[in-house]
Amino acid sequence: MATGMDQALGMGLVAFAGAIFSYYTIWVIFMPFVDDDHVLQQFFLPRFYAIALPVVAGLIFLTFIGVFVTAVTLAKKKKSK
Amino acid sequence: MATKLVQWITALVLFASVWSAFVFDLVPVQLDPRIKEVIVPLPVYLLIVFACFSLATIGYRVATFNDCEEAAESLKKEIEEARKDLQEKGFKFT
Repeated sequence: MATGMDQALGMGLVAFAGAIFSYYTIWVIFMPFVDDDHVLQQFFLPRFYAIALPVVAGLIFLTFIGVFVTAVTLAKKKKSK
Repeated sequence: MATKLVQWITALVLFASVWSAFVFDLVPVQLDPRIKEVIVPLPVYLLIVFACFSLATIGYRVATFNDCEEAAESLKKEIEEARKDLQEKGFKFT
């Protein structure tokens, strides 16, 4: 059995992923069929951001990976020198 | 059967061509503008869904990890015993 902390963290991650999935699915798939004056529209940003935000997040993620790999490679080179 | 890579690339190219056909109006069908609004962001949407699925899988596997603490303790003890035993017999540990 994983420790209590690990279980909480794991299930928290599952809940977080589920929340992102639900919100994004409603935003991309269901909102086009909702009238412009419906009360649900106020919970969702303009559709432009449905593509812009993931693209920006993806770029930040890739930058982070690149920086991390570079840092680890340099640290290793310095150590073996 | 072709390799897994070829299978994946075939599926991807198929999806990309169907998607492009609808997005760039190459299909002779008259589409409801709302359907088009759903089709255009589909690749980004599927990527996000895959990311969420990966995250959820990782979280679930962390939460249900089969960690046996007594087995870990007894294993550590056995490793210590083996280490001492080998050192007495002259084995050099780095």
